[in-house]
Amino acid sequence: MPVIRIPAALKYYMDNHSELDIPASSVIDLLAALAERYPSVKFHLLDADGKLRRHFNVFVNGVHIRELDGLATKLNPDDKLILLASAAGG
Amino acid sequence: MELSHEEILRYSRHLLIPEVGLEGQQKLKASSALVIGTGGLGSPVALYLAAAGVGRIGLVDYDVVDSSNLQRQVIHGTSMVGKLKVESAKQRLLDLNPLIQVEAFNEPFTSENAIRIAKDYDILIDGTDNFPTRYLTNDLCVFLGKPNVYGSIYRFDGQASVFFAKEGPCYRCLFPEPPPPGLVPSCAEGGVLGVLPATIGSVQASEALKLLLGIGSPLIGKLLLYNALDMSFDFVTLKKNPKCRVCGPNADVTELIDYEEFCGVPGHDHEDDGSAGADWDISASDLRARVSSASGLLLLDVREPHELAISALRGATNIPLGQLAARLSELDSAREMVVFCKAGTRSARALELLVSAGFKKVKNLKGGINAWAREVDQSLPIY
Repeated sequence: MPVIRIPAALKYYMDNHSELDIPASSVIDLLAALAERYPSVKFHLLDADGKLRRHFNVFVNGVHIRELDGLATKLNPDDKLILLASAAGG
Repeated sequence: MELSHEEILRYSRHLLIPEVGLEGQQKLKASSALVIGTGGLGSPVALYLAAAGVGRIGLVDYDVVDSSNLQRQVIHGTSMVGKLKVESAKQRLLDLNPLIQVEAFNEPFTSENAIRIAKDYDILIDGTDNFPTRYLTNDLCVFLGKPNVYGSIYRFDGQASVFFAKEGPCYRCLFPEPPPPGLVPSCAEGGVLGVLPATIGSVQASEALKLLLGIGSPLIGKLLLYNALDMSFDFVTLKKNPKCRVCGPNADVTELIDYEEFCGVPGHDHEDDGSAGADWDISASDLRARVSSASGLLLLDVREPHELAISALRGATNIPLGQLAARLSELDSAREMVVFCKAGTRSARALELLVSAGFKKVKNLKGGINAWAREVDQSLPIY
């Protein structure tokens, strides 16, 4: 199943996992499954309208979903996703 | 630009590399770099650029050296605690390499002074610690047509890229908007592994040198994601965002704006005065009076469990901020409550959450348990 890499800022809400295997057939389904499995991450990940907050980016096999089909991008079982969060620390 | 015999000896290991050679070293001597922030990232970046012989290095910072900086900000030393960071850094750089020029700008980097400070430098290095200055640095680089050598760090995670709108995406192509205020923790709040900025800062320094020399493949259109805990290096591809408001074809941001307003947060990551607003705050000394007189007052500590080993208030209930929304039923909304954390930032967010859930008798301990340690109980450490 697809594997997603979790940013440090969200690990805390996801039992400290840095990677998770999530059964899902699209990016949007995968994010919904994440929010369902870890309810406290939902507020951090999604805005009031249920959309991915704009300081997050999703990459599938190193390619931004903007270059694919956005949140509707279909996933294969061996896909590797990266959830990227903006970080200000320096 | 000619090299003296002293410089030829100093840079001999560069001169032996065919990609650098005498000509490259002369290029470095004639080049300039502005390092914005002399903290975790700025320390290794400035040290390596100075050692490499970049002829003119600018340093921007308005802060003073604090002992809590020394775990990672290796350009500063214990003897410099309390001194201006730019002066401390300048002294160290000139000790490392007296053959270069170092210009110190002891001022916050703002929309008002950014062009004046940056316009005469070849490249800018983003080593700041906050979102307003990152967006300012990006927009400035787009407008001035200069590369922005980017790095950011948090706990064990680091990111690095070169944002250069002439040849690839800018920071806003990736992050069109800053996170909602308070949603992304800073290093002052969440911590950072001391050696992490060395890894990311040295990537930034490498990219800066490659750009100044005109060699290799810079990280334009690529983002490096580093995790020290797993020792993983991942790269993702970045493309220009056609909807980018700064570098896109229909850009509508054409001059520097008020970045603190844009981001909804101040241009620094100090959290010493973490506040929920005057109506919602209680000072440490006022809380002491309340604790000794009022019965039934609940002290709610929203820090992480591992922070309780550093300092704690007797009788406080611990519910970490991340669990608060799911554990509201454990709290009595009729009871008076004072929420606290390390320095008042997380507890201000907890207070917002509590108030939105109908809690009315809630106050935020301004400055957190660190303020309590400073003003009331000096037996507690400040961290």
